[in-house]
Amino acid sequence: MSKRPALAIGLMVAAAAVLAFGPLVLPSFYVRVGQLMLYSAGLGVAWAILGGFAGYASFGHAAFIGVGAFAAGLVEERFSGLPTPLLLPLGLVVGGACCAVLSAVIAYPILRLRGTFFAIAMLGVSHVCAEVTNNIDFFQGSLGLNFPPIAPASMDPAIFFYELYLVAGLAVLLIAWKIRYSRFGAGLLSIREDEDTARMLGVPTERYKRMAFVVSAVLTGLLGVIYGHSLGYITTESVYRDDTNLSLIVYSLLGGMGTLFGPVIGAFALVFVTQVILGRLLDFHLFATGLMLVLLILLAPGGVLGLLKRKAAS
Amino acid sequence: MSILAVDKLSKNFRGLAAIADVSFTIEAGSITSIIGPNGAGKSTLFNLVTGYLEPSAGEIAFQGKRITGMATNRIAELGVARAFQIARPFRELSVFENVRIGALFGKAGPRDVAATTLRGMELAAIAHLADQPASALTVGQLRHLEVARAIATRADLLLADEPCAGLNPTETAAMIEVLRKIRGDGVTVVLVEHDMPSVMEVSDRILVLDAGRLIADGAPRDVANDPKVIAAYLGTPDAA
Repeated sequence: MSKRPALAIGLMVAAAAVLAFGPLVLPSFYVRVGQLMLYSAGLGVAWAILGGFAGYASFGHAAFIGVGAFAAGLVEERFSGLPTPLLLPLGLVVGGACCAVLSAVIAYPILRLRGTFFAIAMLGVSHVCAEVTNNIDFFQGSLGLNFPPIAPASMDPAIFFYELYLVAGLAVLLIAWKIRYSRFGAGLLSIREDEDTARMLGVPTERYKRMAFVVSAVLTGLLGVIYGHSLGYITTESVYRDDTNLSLIVYSLLGGMGTLFGPVIGAFALVFVTQVILGRLLDFHLFATGLMLVLLILLAPGGVLGLLKRKAAS
Repeated sequence: MSILAVDKLSKNFRGLAAIADVSFTIEAGSITSIIGPNGAGKSTLFNLVTGYLEPSAGEIAFQGKRITGMATNRIAELGVARAFQIARPFRELSVFENVRIGALFGKAGPRDVAATTLRGMELAAIAHLADQPASALTVGQLRHLEVARAIATRADLLLADEPCAGLNPTETAAMIEVLRKIRGDGVTVVLVEHDMPSVMEVSDRILVLDAGRLIADGAPRDVANDPKVIAAYLGTPDAA
């Protein structure tokens, strides 16, 4: 991939173009599935900047979805008199800033933990944020929070949000790509492989981990802001979701941990399976997801991309 | 001029003195070996110099600059590199990528990353393995990778922790050759090594540690005949 950037860019532009025109031909059910696919892929890539590149697998990134969405919703409610086109940018700025501050503050203590301990601590962060949102009246978490409609009147909101998720997802992917092939990205990979050795080679491990954490958190928060808008009305339960916390890990596991496109493949595949194939079997789908996960870890620990790589090598 | 100056350095682990009042200086451009029985404090000394551990007392200066208690990555930026006793490659990355991390980071200042990476691999004689994943290398090749990565940091001082441990005589000879070439490039080398023939052959000077104390310091021949050194390795007659 890194050796053929022109081919990769060409494929990406082609794929983006096909995706962009998708809603014109797809039935509305599939437009909503597409929304979820693009949103999930964006989240998966944002998660992977920390979890895949640096090897710090977070089990609580829903915290940033929730903080982003609630911060944006609250500020847009206060400034509801503003012209409609300004509301989303305002929400993105405030939601992103809140995630930046939160992640920068907790980065110092929490990134001293490694492996499972870090993952579990992040789950704690996610639950604490959810409890605070739910129990302090100011945040309106239990009551619920309305978002102003931002889709232009001439456009079907489902299509508007589909295209918005596409643009946001591509932006996240582009940022992750730039990081992956930079000096910063090489440093993150060395942290994932062996943090002590990385430090000995001069990699500023503490600073790099914090930077990756903040970037990952802010991108996740920005997607959370859009998610809030696309739902129109959110409560604590609709954004701080443990199945999201789990899914973000599964996307990378499914597609290929530590790779750039793994989480995209994983998100598309998992959303397709749960929403389309198992959509009518709601009681069955968690069971099927779990079974798939177990089989995957046993048979293809490198995910889809790992399998392809092994095929190419043999 | 001395590149490394260790002054009255001590390190205690819960009352146990791993390093006790050790002082020495290392001349730039030399190969110095630190030897001593197991538990003498050799690895602790490296851990102190590279900032993995903080000393209980004493000072360490690199090129005249105090580095005592400095963060490991800051010390690396000044130009100190270390090759671990048990090779610690970035397993999922290729040999090239491993060495490139050293070239991208390491000593501060401008560099040609591609040329530095290649130079590191060539000096350590692993250029032909560039595309191999590190996980596919043999123990001997991993040691060379460890050294290549350290050279690529453009360090002025290389601390090599038992680079020949577990290698057969041919591999040991190859490693000694690599260390000589590195020194030829102007890098100061400090070795911790058990393989006495290699130590005697390659070193300009030998320091002997025993129970955390420096008990001998001099040219290889003098140290080998020092009664204190023989006693440390074999025990004294009255102790036996």
